[in-house]
Parts: sequence; C-alpha cells; structure tokens
Amino acid sequence: MTRPNEPDDLHVLAGEYVLGTLPIAEREAFEARLANDPELQKAVAAWEERFLPYTAMTDPLPPSDYLWPRIERSLKATAARSSASAPASAPRPKVARRRLGQSLPFWRGVAGAGLAAALAMGVMLTNVTNTPATPEYMVVLLAPQTQSAGWVVQAANRQEIQLIPLGTFEVPEGKALEFWTKADDWQAPVSLGLVEPGQPLRLRLDQLPPLEDNQLFELTLEDDAGSPTGLPTGPIEFIGRAVEI
Amino acid sequence: MLTGSAATDIGALPGSEDVSDSDMSETGKVKTINAESRGSQPTHEFDYADALARCARGEHAALQQLYQHEGAKLLGVVYRIVKDRGMAEDIVHDACLNIWQRADSFDPQKGAARTWIFSIARHLALNAIRGRDREVSVDLNDPHELDDDDTFQQASRVADAFDWQTGQRMDECLQQLETERRNCVLHAYVDGLSHAEIAAHTGAPLGTVKAWIKRSLLRLRECMA
Repeated sequence: MTRPNEPDDLHVLAGEYVLGTLPIAEREAFEARLANDPELQKAVAAWEERFLPYTAMTDPLPPSDYLWPRIERSLKATAARSSASAPASAPRPKVARRRLGQSLPFWRGVAGAGLAAALAMGVMLTNVTNTPATPEYMVVLLAPQTQSAGWVVQAANRQEIQLIPLGTFEVPEGKALEFWTKADDWQAPVSLGLVEPGQPLRLRLDQLPPLEDNQLFELTLEDDAGSPTGLPTGPIEFIGRAVEI
Repeated sequence: MLTGSAATDIGALPGSEDVSDSDMSETGKVKTINAESRGSQPTHEFDYADALARCARGEHAALQQLYQHEGAKLLGVVYRIVKDRGMAEDIVHDACLNIWQRADSFDPQKGAARTWIFSIARHLALNAIRGRDREVSVDLNDPHELDDDDTFQQASRVADAFDWQTGQRMDECLQQLETERRNCVLHAYVDGLSHAEIAAHTGAPLGTVKAWIKRSLLRLRECMA
C-alpha cells in the first residue's frame, strides 16, 4: 500500500479478525483493543453479519448425548461457585447466579495447552516416581476454575491406569469425589469409582475398551455414596484428556 | 469407599434417561419472525434474541432450547475449524457457557442474536487453533511479504473451492472477486485456515495470499457499502 489509510486499515483488521487469519499475538492484541473501542466493535459486527451466511456451507454435526448434560453441570457449578467464592472448603449454597469473569480459556487449555502440560508433566513424573515402564498415556486433570493441575493419570498400558494426586482437595461434608471416563465415541461416561483425596489409586480397566487418545477423565463432586444416577451429577472438580506419549 | 475397578459396562448404563428434557415444556417458545435470517430458512423461526434475554434472566431452559436448535450447526462450524471431534465438543461446551454468561451483554442494536451466538463459538475455535499454531511455533513471518497482489498468476483456471452461493447480498460481492481470492477468503472463514495454510493449500505464495485477503476485504466492504 502506498499510504496507510486509517479507516480502511481498521476495517481490514476487523475483517482479518473475523476471518481468523490474524496470528495469535495479533488476535489477542486485537481482542484487548476491541473491548474498549466502539468503532472497532462496529467494524467487527459488520463483518460477522456479512460472513455469517457462509457458515451454512458446513454440515451440521449432532453433538454426543453427553455434551448437553456436561454443559448443564457446568452451569450449575458456575452458579454454585460464584455464590461461594470464598474458601474452597466452604459449603456451597445452592443459589443461582453467575459472573465468573473468565473461566473459559480453561477448556482451551485442556484441549491445546494441555498437551504441552501433559508432556512436561510426564517428563517430571517419570523422573519422580518409580514407574518401571514409560507411560503410554498421560492425563493432567485440571481444576476448571483455576486451571491448576490437581491430579495426573498415568497409564503404563491401555488397561491399567494410575491416578496420582498432585495436592490435596477438601471434600465437603457428605460428599465424595467420583472418577469418570469417557472416550469420544462412547454414549456416556463410565464411573471408575470414588477416590480418596490425596491418595493415589491404581485401577485395571478390564471391563472397558482399551484406553485411547483424547479419552476424557474427570472427577466430580457427588454424594458420599457416589452418583445416584450412575452418571455425573455434581460439578466437575478436575478434568482432562488422555494424550498418547 | 468403593475404590478400585468399579467400572460399569458401558452398554448397561442407566444414564440414558438423561437430564436433557427435564425443564423444556414451560418456555417452549418459538416465534415466527423473519428478520433474523433473511436466508433460505423456513419462516418458522427460532427467536434467538428472546432466548438470549431469557438466558440473561438465568433460565437454563432457554440455553437448552438454543442448544437443541443450533447445537449441531455450532458443532459443525467449530469442527470444520478445529478438525477434532473431542476438541470441537469442548469448544461448544465453552461457547454455551460463554453465551450464558454474556447473554446480558448482548445488545440487539449492535447485531443479530444468531450472529452473536455463532461468533462466540467461531472465535473460541479460532483462538484454540491459533493458540496451537503458537505452540507448534511455526514462525510465519514472511520476509517477502508482497505488496503486489498480481505477482502470482496461476496458469490454469482456478476452480471454486466452495459452493458458496447462499442467496445473500454478500454473494454479489464475493462474485466480483477473482475465484482464487474468493477461495482464500472462504478457506479462512469456513475452514479456519491461517495465511500459511491457505498458501500451502492453494499453492499461492504466502505474501500473495496475505495481499489477496486484504484487498478482498477492502473490495467486499466497498461493495457492501
């Protein structure tokens, strides 16, 4: 371009943002600016509106049966958490209402950065513990709100896993942590039983299909006898996906 | 504590009874409006703005209806971008929570509710894959970024990579772009491809792709003005 043209630049930048072609650093800078720039917001909204019809070119993909229940649990957890923001051990009143600012990059973390974390963690753990064989799979279970790692699952082979606590967790009175897993193509998660906070646990998955890449693991807070329905009902405390190493 | 392998057989799960339909009936609100999507949709339209308003008031059922109405489309759009089923579902999960939490900030003056909803999901997907680009740390800074967008001429006639006619006004503007440029724009929007990926995919030099997209955006905007 011969001469920078302010308004044009703004609209092109907004367009590139909507198309998704900005590299991540520029995307983040753009989003930071967008929050307080009404002109930019208008430019973005205009591009979103122009391009939206072209989402029709992608085929719909029916979500798994598990997705909505998971969303619903997160909604409930969000509501519970925002009202009991204080100490972790405080009982959670059942009051609805949200506002938890930014909890969502977390999932991105699980999906994307989780890989890096898992690999780094894998290296660390194999150095620390005396696992004889190199684990084939690794899962780092993160706390959704804080994104801090709470547990690690290591699998030396595809039928045997070890759940290792990275810290303690205070379970409210009358509650327990229940361990679940679900591979991508399963209809619903399967309970792996209750776990004791701070205690490692070794499990054989004899009755389950072999562990696979991307398999989901999570710990939810349930009644102390475990979920009454056989499916997770309480808030997710820790969650992560298996990474093959 | 019943620790140990309490693994249930997956087929025998009592779970399929499901929570999904529990509180649907009370607010099953479908309105007939046409303003929101002027496209090829039937006239019996879901009221997105109303669903968002009810989300803002804390009605789970509103989000559930939205999900039932658009979940598959949202997942389709996100999956096309991230190309990983598990990750796509994670993102739709995030998008729903995001929609829920931000519903009270939705302003119908600034745009259509359906656009707002899809934008949230798309941008989460884009953040996820662009973040992945960073991890892989491919530095795509191209020293030869070209200003001249005519440097690259494909010898053969380029075919349309998309069946992009939607019946919207924007079609006319896309129509005015050269096919290879239109392809670049749609590879970005629909497939979530980065400049470098588009370059690899189309065989055009990276600098050319960047220039094409910039110029195309300017032309599209002019055309839509």
